Amino acid sequence: MSSNISNDLVWEITRNQNSFLVNRNSGGGSQFSRDPLNLLNKHSYKYAGYSNTKAVGVQPTENGVAVITKKPSNPQQPAQNLVTVTYGPSTANRKIYKGVADRTAKNNYRADLREEAVARVSAVRRSQLPKKDAPAQKPRGSKARKAEESE
Amino acid sequence: MRVGASWRKPKGIDNCVRRRFKGQMAMPSIGFGSNKKTRHMMPSGHKAFLVHNTKDVELLLMHNRTFAAEIGHAVSSRKRVEIIEKAKALGVKVTNPKGRVTTEA
Repeated sequence: MSSNISNDLVWEITRNQNSFLVNRNSGGGSQFSRDPLNLLNKHSYKYAGYSNTKAVGVQPTENGVAVITKKPSNPQQPAQNLVTVTYGPSTANRKIYKGVADRTAKNNYRADLREEAVARVSAVRRSQLPKKDAPAQKPRGSKARKAEESE
Repeated sequence: MRVGASWRKPKGIDNCVRRRFKGQMAMPSIGFGSNKKTRHMMPSGHKAFLVHNTKDVELLLMHNRTFAAEIGHAVSSRKRVEIIEKAKALGVKVTNPKGRVTTEA
């Protein structure tokens, strides 16, 4: 974040309430984050993109993937700090994994996020595959008997 | 299962439940608690996460093994169709996919 405000302070201030946070009571209570720079959508300091100087985001585009990183050089202009690399639908998955892994882990960026970044690319690409229809259910019980009679 | 908030421990001197007689209702105790690892878990192994729109489903992209989407009761049938479609694309289980979407034959 800002040069004279530490990441930890930003997190301590915003961890209880911020615009990305989604709280639910169902299922024993859960917390998620809508932050585009959050690789797991998980509400935690490690994955919070807004409170880390360096962060990686993987977002689906129109049947492609956009990888967002933050430049740590200019903390006063957060909007201009984002660097987006987009991969089209024709790029091989392994090419994208390599590109994302290099962007996250090389040059002393965020090596701790490499696995999650690649996993998210994989999940996004899988969600863009065409989906098969569920097979038609076989009738059971009285409906099955009725279907047999009509044949 | 959990006892209601209005439950009071029986205190009567002759109370058969308090004296834990055979055939009476069981009294709550810590031993009835479920294992922390499986608490709030549905038989499918998922925990429920309440969703109202497709944006909420997208939160579960990286958690589709641990969380299942549960569509809120006030969501319209038009939006339910969108939510179910999105959930299928992301591989997220929906616990109530038939509500308001299918009609009774």
